Amino acid sequence: MNLKVKLLVTIAVETNELTRRYGYRVALRKVTLNFSKSGIQGLFGSNGAGKTTLMRVISTLLRPHGGFISVMGFDPQEEPEEVKKRIGLVGDKPLLYEELSGLENLRFYSKLYGLQAEFFDSQVEDLAKRFAINTWLEEPVKNLSTGLKKRLDIVRSLLHNPELLLLDEPFSGLDKDTTEDFWEYLNEYRNSRTTIVTTHNLAFGAALCDEYVTLRKGVVVGQGPIAEFDQTL
Amino acid sequence: MTSGLSAALAIAKKDILTQFRKRFEVFSMFLFALIAVLAFSFAVVTGGAVPQEIGSALLWVIIFFTGMFGFAPIFLSESETGTLRGLATAPIPAWSVYLGKVIYGFFLMALVEIFLVPIIMVLFGFSLLNDAPLALATLLVGTLDLAAVGSMASALTMPSESKATVFPLVYFPTATSALMLLIEITKIIVLGPGLVPVLLIFEILLAHLIAMLTLSASVFHFALSP
Repeated sequence: MNLKVKLLVTIAVETNELTRRYGYRVALRKVTLNFSKSGIQGLFGSNGAGKTTLMRVISTLLRPHGGFISVMGFDPQEEPEEVKKRIGLVGDKPLLYEELSGLENLRFYSKLYGLQAEFFDSQVEDLAKRFAINTWLEEPVKNLSTGLKKRLDIVRSLLHNPELLLLDEPFSGLDKDTTEDFWEYLNEYRNSRTTIVTTHNLAFGAALCDEYVTLRKGVVVGQGPIAEFDQTL
Repeated sequence: MTSGLSAALAIAKKDILTQFRKRFEVFSMFLFALIAVLAFSFAVVTGGAVPQEIGSALLWVIIFFTGMFGFAPIFLSESETGTLRGLATAPIPAWSVYLGKVIYGFFLMALVEIFLVPIIMVLFGFSLLNDAPLALATLLVGTLDLAAVGSMASALTMPSESKATVFPLVYFPTATSALMLLIEITKIIVLGPGLVPVLLIFEILLAHLIAMLTLSASVFHFALSP
């Protein structure tokens, strides 16, 4: 197996001197990192470190201004649809339509992802039960509490069974029960799915993740197995 | 992987369903259109009819400005609630998002026109029935053209901090050429066919629509991932 093929097999996200600016402000400065395939990968850093910008570049929402990026073996600029069908994204705001019910939201996204009706039904039944929203699916999203919206948004992101789950501060605003349910779910799929989690809560990230990358002011200041993670950095 | 067209239809259906539940844009459009028609009918109608030369201009100017209330929020609401990221990260071509919004904008405008055009014909005392098929085709193509321009203008307005100011700056100049053609075709229909080669003007209008749709669709990925 040549080196390139080996990289595709073992690396979920690879960047080399990745740069992204907002006007004159550099959000990512020549970021070079690897996120392994499978396991839970932590992207740590304080507010403004560039975590969300990197997540947006990975998820094709932002174009880089320089450098190289590969997501699940594909270039997000050249083959965005190949990347998009492999990722699930949970951000700070739920990607849900307030006027529609939970089920209508899920059905809408299932059409965008081209899911078969039978697969959709089984996914909704399984995920809604697991995240305890099955009794709330007919309710308009605008009537749901923040925690229920977050649960529904997590179900939405998992509907198409993504290979790479991108979680941008996923536990902020979550109650204890939802956090535990989600934590348990992530653990269950630890070996069969790649999950990248951003957090500024380092103790929390250290307990959850297998590997880590730490950003500070858009620069990588540390990466490696979580056993080597130094919270004082 | 779903096809671009079925994704566009799903997006349009979702927007129509949302609109039927909140009714905000469609209500604003109806209200503006009704006030404009009443104001013009008081100001311009003499002897039960407007001068035939200006009736068609009034019709399309009202439709043009009514469209602003429907087209401006097409992408702004998605941008403000964050749901645009859901569309942008779905494995569908960028043009399908644009096309879905154009279909929705067309539906919204057509819904208003179904009531607006007969009211205008009665209050302004002019008829489009001299050439009903061409009048219908002009309304369809014209509305689709305005929806195509309005949707793109709404998308281009998203990054701006002064959205209310920027939208007309994009929408007005881009849609004005279509507006001129629509007024001209409608004037010929009202005054009576055969005065000038109306089909030639209609073909230019069709070309404008196709150019707007293809140009906007081909660059729309820049609006979704800046």
